[in-house]
Amino acid sequence: MTATAISTTALTKRYGPHQALRELNLTVPTGEIFGLLGHNGAGKTTIVNLLTTLMEPSSGTAEINGHDITTAATAVRRSIGYLPENVQFYDNLTLAENLIFFARLSGVRSVGSRISEVLDFLDFSGHENQRMGTFSKGMRQRAGIAQAILHEPSVLFLDEPTSGLDPQGVAKLRETIISLNTKLGMTIFMNTHLLAEVTKTCTSIGILSSGTLIYQDSVDATLKSFPDQESLEDIYLHIEAGQRA
Amino acid sequence: MTEILTLARKEITDLRRNRFMVVLFAFLAVAVVLSVIVASADFRLKIADYQHYVDALKAAGSSATAPEPSLFPLQMLRGGIEYLEIIGSLFAVVLGYSMITKEKGRGTLALLFSRPLGRYAFIGGKILAVVLLWVSTVAALFLVITASLLVIGNAPLHGGDYVHLFFAAAHTAVYLIMWSLLAMSLASLIRRTGTGLVLALVLWLVVVLIIPQIGDTMDPDNQIPGGLFASLQVDKSHEQAVMAHFTGYETTRDLIEQTSVTKQYERATFAYLGIKNEYNQQPLSFIWAGTFNNTLWLLAALAASVSTAMLSGTKKIILRKVS
Repeated sequence: MTATAISTTALTKRYGPHQALRELNLTVPTGEIFGLLGHNGAGKTTIVNLLTTLMEPSSGTAEINGHDITTAATAVRRSIGYLPENVQFYDNLTLAENLIFFARLSGVRSVGSRISEVLDFLDFSGHENQRMGTFSKGMRQRAGIAQAILHEPSVLFLDEPTSGLDPQGVAKLRETIISLNTKLGMTIFMNTHLLAEVTKTCTSIGILSSGTLIYQDSVDATLKSFPDQESLEDIYLHIEAGQRA
Repeated sequence: MTEILTLARKEITDLRRNRFMVVLFAFLAVAVVLSVIVASADFRLKIADYQHYVDALKAAGSSATAPEPSLFPLQMLRGGIEYLEIIGSLFAVVLGYSMITKEKGRGTLALLFSRPLGRYAFIGGKILAVVLLWVSTVAALFLVITASLLVIGNAPLHGGDYVHLFFAAAHTAVYLIMWSLLAMSLASLIRRTGTGLVLALVLWLVVVLIIPQIGDTMDPDNQIPGGLFASLQVDKSHEQAVMAHFTGYETTRDLIEQTSVTKQYERATFAYLGIKNEYNQQPLSFIWAGTFNNTLWLLAALAASVSTAMLSGTKKIILRKVS
């Protein structure tokens, strides 16, 4: 495993005349929980779509565990897990059927035992035979994490993972994310709006503004660098305001 | 290949549990089977009437022989084939279209395409599911139809009839698969769900209803009730002599009809089932000689729809067309 989990070099994405991402240079070391912050439309989801190979960059390159997202997309997909915002499943299928389906597509060998292992790890056993259409938002989110880690990826992408969850759901998800990182050693890349959650969950952050990465450092270093600011939220607003000025 | 099978299996399980699709398929099956059952019951009555007539003659001590009625059991499938041709193709459009739009609408594409799938795995799985679904549905329908002919119609089917039924079933499966794949391609290529569906339905309307209707309207036999020549009491040989002066008209009518794949399907199937009189009770080689061009056009349409679905169902195109 390389020491760098994610790296991008001048990564750019254009939608017609609109530049969603401008020459992004970003490095996320292996073992980090990296939180990407930014206003709506800053380009956070575009980065995740590029890094998960759902989109191709207009220019620039990016690597996941040393695999180029354009020239070695299959290798990238083997080493990543992805939880989209508002994850959806096949509602007519049960949780077990959904997970078997995604496990097979990911090339998992001992599907049955791996699903049990993952559900036990997520403390989510007992719902296997329930149809996904009956699941609550929180349950879907946990099922979403289950499908994302079935094939034991080394990098996990979470797009607004706490979106729509109640406070208990948020706390439960936070615990899960931290244990995925500490117990399974996964590097986690998450987009989020909840700055309080970033302080509790992430080890490093990046701030994206209008497609440009304007800040990147560890959470501890960030808090120390802005002693005048009371919280990460204040720091974020301060940095964003500085960028606009 | 494993991933294609996995995708196809998921698709079929999902469809089996989809109430709307189950209702559509049940409706189609009921319509087709009912039409054959009604025709079979009628067939049985005609045979019974004939038998009563013969028995009555015998009882009266008559030595007269009553000519057997010209009844051909496979011709009873006409209504069923027309249902499959029109309603079946409409359901095939709905099925193919929904298989792609549901993935787009519920946002499962991101989960699929962030996995190490081959370029054509996603659409390959969908195509395989459509093929398996229609082949099994058509096979089941034709088995029930055959049973209805035998049991309800008391129809004397021979070895050759089963072969003719098989060919009609094969043409039907090809025709329905073609429609589903065509709709699937449109769903992949068009961003807006509503626009794509309207386009698919317009295409269905033109190919299934309008073009064949134009051809039928131009047919002298359909211009007045009972047929133009029959109402003028002109026999077949004179009719042919008259029509020989209108070859341009007939060629135009034929060309218009040939642009519709539905008409190609109908011509071939009606020939194999003997619904078209000139092919009734004829050997397979004779029917093939007269209709191979219809079969080839149908296969060409299938090949085109498979290719279009494959090319339009790649990750790059589908994700670009998600609204």
